[in-house]
This record gives sequence, structure tokens and C-alpha cells, in this order.
Amino acid sequence: MKAVILGAGEGLRCRPLTLTRSKVMLPVANKPILEHIISALFKCSIYDIILVVGYKKEQIMDYFRDGVDFGVNITYVEQKGQLGTAHAIKQVSSYMDDEFIVLNGDNIIEAGTISDILAGRSGDATILTVVREHTQGYGVVVHEKHRVMKIIEKTKEDLSHNVNTGIYIFNPGIFDYIEATSISETGEYAITDTIQQMIDDKKNIIMINSQAMWLDAVHYWDLLKANAYMLERFEQPVNDCIIEDGAVIRGKVSIGLDTVIHPGSFILGPVVIGKNCEIGPNAVVLPSTTIGNYSTIEPSALIKNSIIMHDVRVGAFSYISNSILGAHNSIGSHFITETGENLIIEMRGSLHKAAKFGTVIGDGNNIKHRVLTEPGKMISTGCSIASGVNVSRDIPRDSKVF
Amino acid sequence: MCGIVGYIGDGDAVNILLESLRKLEYRGYDSAGMAIIDKEGKARIFKIEGEISELESIIPGISSHVGIGHTRWATHGRPTTQNAHPHCSGNISVVHNGIIENYQDLKSELISEGFVFISDTDTEVLAHLINKYYIDDLGLAVGTALGHVRGSYAIGVLSNEHPDELIAARKDSPLIIGLGKDENFIASDIPAILKYTKRIIYIDNLELISVKQGSIRVFDMEGNPVEKKEHIIEWDLEAAEKAGYPHFMLKEIHEQTRSIHETMTGRLHELEGDINFEELGLDLNEIRQFRRIEIIACGTSYNAGLLGKYLFKGLAGIHTDVDTGSEFRYSSPVLAPSTLVIAITQSGETADTLAAVREAESYGCMTLAITNVVGSTISRDASQTIYTRAGPEIGVAATKSFTSQLVVLYLLAIHFARARSIMDVNRARMLLSELRKIPGHVNHILEGAGTIHECALMFVKAKDYFFIGRNINYPVALEGALKLKEISYIHAEGYAAGELKHGPLALISKDVPVVAIAPHGHTYDKILSNIKEVKARDASVIAIVDCDDYCEIEKFADFVIPIPMTDEVLTPLLSSVVVQLLAYYTALELDCSIDKPRNLAKSVTVE
Repeated sequence: MKAVILGAGEGLRCRPLTLTRSKVMLPVANKPILEHIISALFKCSIYDIILVVGYKKEQIMDYFRDGVDFGVNITYVEQKGQLGTAHAIKQVSSYMDDEFIVLNGDNIIEAGTISDILAGRSGDATILTVVREHTQGYGVVVHEKHRVMKIIEKTKEDLSHNVNTGIYIFNPGIFDYIEATSISETGEYAITDTIQQMIDDKKNIIMINSQAMWLDAVHYWDLLKANAYMLERFEQPVNDCIIEDGAVIRGKVSIGLDTVIHPGSFILGPVVIGKNCEIGPNAVVLPSTTIGNYSTIEPSALIKNSIIMHDVRVGAFSYISNSILGAHNSIGSHFITETGENLIIEMRGSLHKAAKFGTVIGDGNNIKHRVLTEPGKMISTGCSIASGVNVSRDIPRDSKVF
Repeated sequence: MCGIVGYIGDGDAVNILLESLRKLEYRGYDSAGMAIIDKEGKARIFKIEGEISELESIIPGISSHVGIGHTRWATHGRPTTQNAHPHCSGNISVVHNGIIENYQDLKSELISEGFVFISDTDTEVLAHLINKYYIDDLGLAVGTALGHVRGSYAIGVLSNEHPDELIAARKDSPLIIGLGKDENFIASDIPAILKYTKRIIYIDNLELISVKQGSIRVFDMEGNPVEKKEHIIEWDLEAAEKAGYPHFMLKEIHEQTRSIHETMTGRLHELEGDINFEELGLDLNEIRQFRRIEIIACGTSYNAGLLGKYLFKGLAGIHTDVDTGSEFRYSSPVLAPSTLVIAITQSGETADTLAAVREAESYGCMTLAITNVVGSTISRDASQTIYTRAGPEIGVAATKSFTSQLVVLYLLAIHFARARSIMDVNRARMLLSELRKIPGHVNHILEGAGTIHECALMFVKAKDYFFIGRNINYPVALEGALKLKEISYIHAEGYAAGELKHGPLALISKDVPVVAIAPHGHTYDKILSNIKEVKARDASVIAIVDCDDYCEIEKFADFVIPIPMTDEVLTPLLSSVVVQLLAYYTALELDCSIDKPRNLAKSVTVE
């Protein structure tokens, strides 16, 4: 069976992190989300993967190349224009002569998720669902026994607790229905509209409910939860790193090649640290933290429950918790992130709720000393922030704050 | 990283293996080898420290229909012919990609059983192990041997007792099988065999394959047969290698955020303000003895060398000269044993530079090579070698290899300065900390590449270009002009800004863009007046400036390209990336052959 992974989108709800990368390349436990999906497919013996790419495709292609290092065969298809899921799937029609599986490139899944839908597939199309208590903002499926009666996008009411995972098995017959799908009110060709049309035509659409992992990192703050979840489950190799005398490493900790842990540092797993990093002296890294390649954590900094991407410098005596730091950031000493609970975060004109979060910082910022970020406030990319600044509002792209 | 291939069929095994190995050269090319079985049923082994073309030159015309091959790219340690694959034991030959973690234990065990080791590699252990367990079934022997092994592998095994069979196996290293008509292939990657077949079987971890001319059988490690599915490859090979970038050059420009880090890895001790070149066999005393440095290089490497001159003089206080390889030898060089000769060449094969190194050796000088290719000729000829670790570069116009050469020169100059107590530890720590931030700054420039594209578009009709810079950015002016010449075929000249008024100013007129590299620093005011000079002659000025310094220069410049703030000394690392992108986008707009410019070759092996 071939697999289609949709990875062309811009991931607007993960701005500023997605200003410089595709959402599928956001790191969870130091691996792109897409890599978790590909390794799940590999474990289910699905090796022929068609990757629909678009936004920032070079990074994706450069990382996965032809797939051989991941045990799979990847073909890239470019989706020009963001015209919805049905439009994305249409791009691969010439590659499909048998039934195939469709997945979103930005959901975190495990092999069991895929084997569930493979085992239960039947009818004209199969949809994988998971049960969630709160379904607001998700698409849901109304069903009678296994048969799907109605498929609803982004519901506001509690019509069903079966959330549509966006994982489908189709046969090539779907392409005729996609051709006939009309554009929705939001200006997109949605695959859910295609499926609804099939239901209306009395086609047999089957729903499979899975208990296996399916995490949808809708907003950037969801990444922390996904990261913590994956760190608990993933065994990663400990490479040739240098742990100097007096550094203490406890719990499930993976450290990459050539990374140096200086004396007095304390690392408590689950933690993953990439290659060529320098940590400490006296740095403290607490669960559940991921640190990317080529990063420097200067003396006496404390980091907990955070994602730090590659090539980041965290200044001495900094305190970072519940936060996400993009790549290529240079941060001075005494940088502090404040954490808030039940935050209301404004994003592109609408308000969203985050249970617990510190700050998010995009790529390539130059932050001087003694900067403090208030809960839920973000710094976009390419900014430079002077010493002593209190970040009490969102800082837009390429700003200079004095 | 290494690559392995294997072939069995009616075709000419030697040529097919060579051709396949060439396609794997991106996985490495510092040593190579192959084992084939000739018509008499005798195993013939050929291996060499060098590229595939060198391997080809040592293989006599032999007709063979079965064989295995290997290409290697060492990242640490010296590749030698002895260490090149295949490795043999009795009738068994093995090629291997991966690392055997418990090879020391296995090795001592095998030695105590009387096996004799001739190489330092972990792979030789595999050969002996297989030989040890061999009775009459090769597959069984390989399976049993692998049962004792910890680590990663993709292997190909050949025995002259079984000329009709190849055995392959995989764990955590890539391996595929190619299915032909009455012939079959094994390879590390698809490009290797795409010329011969598009039918592929992907091998999973812990699978063992018996490859015969007409059949493929796959087993798990317990010997149970495994059902495998065939795949048809449809993609365009070159597009896949370029990873979505339209050209290798643009891809390699983008890779600089990574390659600069790789160059610094493990060499820079920021806390101590110290540099450590693992491979450099010069102690502090020796470094203190040098009275003069002579740098020899050609092309882009010469421009790097020129920057080296400013660094060794400015940071380490050593008198330094730079010469091109072709001029050095015929200019009656004045060399003494107290002169250190530094030779810079990406490929390590540049004929002019090699000849100069031999010349210098004959004067009894210490020679130090800076190269990107492990095991290249220059690393054997020079007394010391430092590797730039930029990774294979395919575009003819050097980009990432240039910035990596610069980084090595920075590290070397700081190391020398510290050894000679010219630079205090605080200055060194500051520079090293700023150096580590350079990849982030490079990323910032790449993110803003749109501006540079606009600039290129604005001046794309120009027939002549001038690049000016002062002091440490003068070499970048030369490099900018060279890049533009190489790939866009526009006439361009690089000048030390102060030299303009001594002649070239006569050429400045309307329609001639002048790229002024003018980041902040002690020559800033001077270059500002040079900019006014050319502006007064109606030239268009493109100014490369620090981003905090917009306003002042904007009055005189037609186009401003900002670079992030860093220490003055390090600005060339950033301005280089800007001139690379400017040349790239100009060539792109002019529709030139960017990765293979006319008349030029990547590695210049003629004098």
C-alpha cells in the first residue's frame, strides 16, 4: 500500500515557529513531527510514501532526501497554492492504482495508530477516529455502528465525541469525487466535503476508532505536551558525548555526538540533547526538555519543560520554563520566562486558551541581557531586543526593541 | 559515511561496479575498492586510497560477472589503502557500511584463535567471523557471524567458492536490492543502480539476502524466508539530490549554517578561550618558532588565503605573505626552515598548489594543508593537514568550502595568537563566542535573501561590476568579483577601496555598479569617502553594511544590504555570503549554467 502525507501547509496557528519552517518539521523529542509519522509507517511495512510538499519544501526534501536513510521510498509532489486537503490529494492521482492511506504530516502518531486503520478497513473509504472529551475546534464524525452518517468540520457543539484524525484509506475511485467537489465557503477544496458527497450518494464509509496515539499540535503551545509525551516513550541512542567530572545525569537522558556537559551540571530525564552542544558548567536541565544541535547553555542556566531548537545560545543565569525557542537565537544572561496558567492568547485576530505556557520565540533573534518575557507573550523572528526589556506584548517580525 | 555496491549477472561487473560507485561518491570518495571473481574462479581484490577514477586506473581489463565494491569518506582518522574495503579472510571478501561496536572484543577473541589482522578497521572482524563460521553455506555463515555482532551494518559478502551468489544484510544502515533482467544489484542508495534498473526491493533491519543471477531470497536472522515487495522508482534523480533547490550552488549556500558549525565542532573551547586541532601535530613551542608564514592557494582558496594574511598579521603578529600556486614556484621563493607554508585547496588535488607544497618541503619548511577532502593527495604530501569538514561540494563555484576555509583560518590565527601570547584570553573568548554565533547570523542573511535577489535584478543589465573593500573585507571584494565572473560571465573586478584612485576610477561611470563592503570598523570612515568618490562619478553603489548602521550610508548608496552585527574581524564570514547570493541571483536572472559554468572544472588537476 502507498501512503500520502500532506505536508504543504503553512501552519498559521504555529506562527512564529512556522515563519521559517514547515509545520511538519517542528521538532518533537528532537525529531521532526514528519519523521515520527514516517517511522510509524515503516513499522507497518508501508514503504512507498508520496509527500505532498509546498511551503518551505527545501528543508523537508533536504532532511528526508529519497527516504533511503529512513528505510522508505519517498516521492515528492508539489502542491502549488493552498487550496485544501482535497486539492492536495488530487495532486497524487497519477501515482495511485490501488487503495492508499492518507495522513496529515503534522499529527503525531505511532505504529499502532496506522495498524488500527489497516486492520479495520472496508467499504468505499475508511476514516480513523479517536475519542476526545472536548471536541471543540476538531472535525467530528457522526456514525451508526461503523457506518459514517455525517462528517462535520470544526464543530462548536458536542455532536459526537469521535474526532476525525484526518487519517483515511481511499481507493482510486475517490479522485472522481474530488473532481466533483466544489469549493467551500472558506475558499478551499476540503476532503471532508468530498466524503460527505460520497455519504450522500449512499457510499459505504467506515469509521474505525483507535485507542492508539494521535496528537494534533494545533497551536505551538500544544508542542510542549507532545514533546513531554514522546520523551517518555522514545528510546534514543546515547552517542559519544563528553561528560566532565562532577556533572550529574539522571533518568532517561539522550545526548548527541560531541556534546560536552561541563562540571556541576545536573540533567534530569526525560531529556534529549542534540549533537555538538555545550552545557554548563552548573547548568540545570529538568524534564521534559529537548535541546537541538549546536546549542550552548551557559553557566548556571535552568531549563525545564521546554523545547530549544538548534543553534541557540542561552545566556548565563537564565531561567526558561514551559517555553519554545526557535533556531539560531542568541540570548544574553539573566533571561527569564514567566509562566502563566489559563492564558488567553491572541492570534491573528481571535482568542485562544492555553492551559500553561511561558513564551515562544521564533528564529534568529538577538536578545541582550536581563530580558523578561511575560506569560504568553511571543517574540517573532529576526528581532533584536535591548538589555533590560520587559516583553509585555507580542513583538512582531524584524523589530528592534530598545 | 560509506557506500557499498554489488553486482551479479551477464554484464561487465567491473564497469558496472565502477559506474555505481561513482553515483555513490556523494557518500564519500577518499578510498575505494572492489572484489570480483574472474573467469578462472579466482577472487581478485583491488583497493586504493583515492577516488573512484584512481581505482579504475589500477584495474586491468578483467572479464567478470560478479563482484562487490565500496567507497568511503572518513571523517576522523586517515584513510589508507590497507584500511580500504573489501576486507578478506580466506576466500571471503566483505564490504561494509556502518560501525561494529564490539569489534575490540571480537578482535581479541579472533586473534587468540589464530586469525591475523592486517588493518585497523572494524570490518575486518566481520570477514574473519564469517570465515570462522563457514562450512559450506555462505548465507548461514554470514547469519551466524552477524549474531555475534553489535552495531550497525549494511554488508555485501563474496566468496570464490560461491561465484554464483552474493550475500547481503542490513541493520541500521541503508541497503537496497535492484532487480534486473538476468542480473541483480545491491547498493546503499538508489542512485547507484538507477541507470540499470528501476525495480527496487527495500531491505529491512535484520534481514539477510541471497542474491543470485536469476533469483533473490530474503531471510530473517533465524533463517525464515521473508516475503518482499518490489517497488518501481519513478523520481527524477537529479532533482532528488538537489532537495528541492533549483541548483546545487543555492543548496550549498544554504548549507553554510550547518557546515560552519561542523568546521568548529570539537575544536573550539569557548570557556577556556582555546583552540584544539586534534589533527595538528604542532606544539606551542613549534608555533612560537615561526618567523614568517607563506600561504599558497589558487582561485577562491587564494582569497581565503589573503584573509588569512590579515588574520595572522592582525591577530597573531606574524609576518605573512600570500601567493598563488602557479606564481609561487617560478618567483624564486625565499624560504627558511622558520617559515611555515600553509597550502589551501578544497579538493586537495589542485596541481599548482601541490607542486608548490613539494617545492616548500624541499626547502625544509613545515607545510600545513587546509583541505576539504580527507585522504586527498595534499594530505599525504604536506607535513600537517587540517580538514575543513564542509562536506562534499558539487557546484563548481565554491561557497560553503570557502567559508569553512575562513573558519579554519580564524581558529588557526587565534590558536597562534594565544600560543605566542599576543592575544589575551578575554579577547579570545569573546571572538570564539562571536564565532559560534556566526551560523545564526548566516541564517539571518539567508532569510533576507529576497533583498539580495531584488538587488541582482536591479543591476542585471550591467556589463561591468566593481567590488571594493578595505582591510579584512578586501579579500571578500576579490571573492565577490570572482563569483560573479565564474557563474554570471559578467566582467567584475575586486579592488582594495583605497586603490581605486590609482587607476580604476577611470573606468567608473554611470551604469557601473560598485559593491562596497563597508561594515563598521576602523576603516569605516575611509571606505565611506571611497563610496563618495565613486558616487561623484555617477556610479551606482550597493553597500553591504551592519544592520545597525543604515541611515548614514543610505544617503550615498543606491541599494543597501544589511548584515547582522558581529565583531569587526568576523564580518568577512557574513559579507561573503552576501556576495555569493548576489552572484547566484545575477546568474539566475541571466539564465546561466550555474552549477557547471563554461570552461571550468571543480578540481583543477592540471598546472
